[in-house]
Amino acid sequence: MTSYITYFKLKFKTGLQYRSAAFAGIATQIFFGLVYISVYIAFYESDSSNLPMELSQLVSYLWLNQCFFTLIFMWYKDKEIINMIKSGNIAYELCRPQNLYLMWFSKLFGERLSKVLLRFLPVLLLAIIMPSPFNLNLTTTIPRLLIFILSLALASVLVTVITLLYHIICLFTLDEKGIVNMFMVTSDILSGLTIPIPFFPSYFQSIVNILPFRYVSDFPFRLYVGNIPITEGLIGILVQIIWIIILIIIGNILMKKALKKAVIQGG
Amino acid sequence: MGLYFKFMKIHFKSELQYKLSFALSFISQFIVFFGYYFTIICLFDKFSNIKGFTMYEVLLTFSIIQFGFSFCETFFRGIDTFDDLIINGTFDRLLLRPQNILLQVFVNEVSFVKASRLIQSIIILIISIINLDVIWEFDKIITLIFMLFASVILFLSIFILAASYCFFTVKGLEVRNVFTDGGKHMAQYPIGIFKKGFVFVFTYIIPYGFVNYYPLLYLLSKENNKIFIISPLITIVYLIPSVIIFYKGMKRYSSVGS
Repeated sequence: MTSYITYFKLKFKTGLQYRSAAFAGIATQIFFGLVYISVYIAFYESDSSNLPMELSQLVSYLWLNQCFFTLIFMWYKDKEIINMIKSGNIAYELCRPQNLYLMWFSKLFGERLSKVLLRFLPVLLLAIIMPSPFNLNLTTTIPRLLIFILSLALASVLVTVITLLYHIICLFTLDEKGIVNMFMVTSDILSGLTIPIPFFPSYFQSIVNILPFRYVSDFPFRLYVGNIPITEGLIGILVQIIWIIILIIIGNILMKKALKKAVIQGG
Repeated sequence: MGLYFKFMKIHFKSELQYKLSFALSFISQFIVFFGYYFTIICLFDKFSNIKGFTMYEVLLTFSIIQFGFSFCETFFRGIDTFDDLIINGTFDRLLLRPQNILLQVFVNEVSFVKASRLIQSIIILIISIINLDVIWEFDKIITLIFMLFASVILFLSIFILAASYCFFTVKGLEVRNVFTDGGKHMAQYPIGIFKKGFVFVFTYIIPYGFVNYYPLLYLLSKENNKIFIISPLITIVYLIPSVIIFYKGMKRYSSVGS
């Protein structure tokens, strides 16, 4: 176990080195937050007959999306792992007396956590001091806050498990483009990162609700802003746990299959 | 010009060597960028209009912006990945050849996979043109052509400007993404719908407004002033200084060695 924690720490510490990249990231996040919000404000000012969310809830939701962007986005490729698969260096990894799934999990998880730790606080603070109606509203109740933290923690595991699955698919395709790209972009849409789920057409919402993706960002953030009642939130947390278990099982099965007929490219 | 097409032909042939991979990436690009249009369609399912603009009007605006961006990404991709040229030192090789530098940079890398987005934007453009109730008289057609042209020029100038920055810092400019991707995201809607500060920045500092807002008003008969027809041509004023800065930067260029 300690070796996996070491992988996690290693990735975590390297991630913390990239401070200037984080600075550029923060600027981008703030800018995109403002752009998204202005689009919605223009929509809300034009037609307010059929609103699935209150504006203040929506604005907070969009800011939370930006704050935790590096934690929750699905379009993520670990260059190191991809290169390993492509160059055949994965053979070295297979020689180690370790579980590859756990090893990759610790790496991906560490990377995500370090990125978000560098970025979320500045974005959060700037979002709070924005002039109304652009500001993030942090007021909430204690039980809601606690359940949000729990759901966000589970979400970070869930998103790592999902992206890990895509990396495992690369073991079959030997390429990170094509199919994997398609998976990544659809999961970003289905997680509510591009537009919140309540804005989807209703027939589409029923599909999205049975998939795991919305439990990564849509669920915890709507829970925080008060768009989902607490009782529903508790059920949602259960669903998160179930999805994590299912996806871990699928990931392990796929990985075993892939490694059984692994073709090492090159020598 | 002849040289440019010759290069294009070579690149095209070399990409087609990997037929399956080309087809797959082509399709995946298509689906990936459908996501953007999907967002707009979803939002108009809930809202009837945005500041008086309907869905097809917004789709028209967005497809014009996408057209310009993907046109540059397809045919002038070399300038987009310019920092690689500098870092590798390959730029020295281009300098030795007795040909126009910018032209050589453009053709250095071409990606026909990106043409997938170009085709997509043209399809959306046609769909929205069919669904708009605009009487396509001569002046309206000219306006539309100017808008498409201006969109290409605008992204070309941003790319060239960002490339010139590499002469001074070697590494590419990350903030550029805010201007291209972020600006692109804003410009999928007519710029005029936003709050004043945004409108100012994206009209006078980066002229998205002249590409997709003022001419659009004329196109949709919301304004009748003829000057709006030629307003997209202002983007040329942005291209000239970008090119000058590029050549100025080149004078300062010192190779990274090897």
